[in-house]
Amino acid sequence: MKKMAAILALLGATCISLPVYAAEGGSIASKVEELGKMDYLKVTDMRAARRDNLLRIQVTVTNSSNKNEQLYYRFRWLDNDGFTVWEEEPWKPELIYGKQDKVISVVAPTFKATDFKLELQSPNNSTSSERRSGVDGPPYH
Amino acid sequence: MKAFRVLLLPAVLSLSACLTTNSPTSGGDSGVSYGDSKAVETVTTDLGSTDIQTTAEKMTISMLQTPLLQDIIRQRGLLMASPVANKTSEYFDTKLITDTILTQLQKNGVRYVIAGDEMQNQTDELIRQNQTGLYKKSSTAKVGNMQGAQYRIDGSVSSVIKSNSKVKDVYYKINMRLIEIESGIVEWSDEKEIRKVLKR
Repeated sequence: MKKMAAILALLGATCISLPVYAAEGGSIASKVEELGKMDYLKVTDMRAARRDNLLRIQVTVTNSSNKNEQLYYRFRWLDNDGFTVWEEEPWKPELIYGKQDKVISVVAPTFKATDFKLELQSPNNSTSSERRSGVDGPPYH
Repeated sequence: MKAFRVLLLPAVLSLSACLTTNSPTSGGDSGVSYGDSKAVETVTTDLGSTDIQTTAEKMTISMLQTPLLQDIIRQRGLLMASPVANKTSEYFDTKLITDTILTQLQKNGVRYVIAGDEMQNQTDELIRQNQTGLYKKSSTAKVGNMQGAQYRIDGSVSSVIKSNSKVKDVYYKINMRLIEIESGIVEWSDEKEIRKVLKR
């Protein structure tokens, strides 16, 4: 029992790394909700880890256009069962320069968050495409 | 029978087209509607709801990550918020920022004590219970038992405004600190920068 507690304490002290989402693996798609299809902006990298008891997310958004693109984003923080554990976040504006890889780093505002969804909107979204549906389940828990 | 069906179909279709329900509103065509309180507000370059929301959010998250704050939560320590100095040329209530930070911290287990202009209500109630002679002695809240905070949140909001005939550029810097009251040591600090541009 003591051994078990020691192992748990050690795990708590070090950071517990969660899987890195591969750009092509489809895992990113399960975490991202685009409001319309974004023509020039794409999430090309996403990683998550638990540090200091808080879920830490790093997302890279790539602008394929030569021109500056406006992005609006916010996170939805969830628990293991998919319930939201924090109030609705404000939308955040982010200017992404032409051909830029913008790294967005965020930390969950609550210790309860174990999962998340990223909502993205860009004024240059095309709305003809249907909204993403039937996404994969959470890749880690 | 077939002819009856042919006649009935357009009638049913026209009926279904008319079937719209009234919204549960009472203002008529007043032009007032509810917007999204979390939407990015770009009405003017002045500090607005988005700036306050994102600043409070950033500060809360930044503070939560510090081991000291997690210790304060574990040890049931007490925080308070001093009035944030508004060094900009515009008027806005800086309590909007600290109130949100305290609320969000409390959701994570932080305890805080009231201070500043909220103290008046607190002292009024204590005096009412203890000095009016209206209350049972056994049920009154005693004077002299309020608890002092060990840490206080302080900060300032500053701005730099530049403009020409075509562009107005406003740069805001919001600085916040967590100070140990007894020693005056700044245990945590962070800042949020905001740039707003108006093209004329």
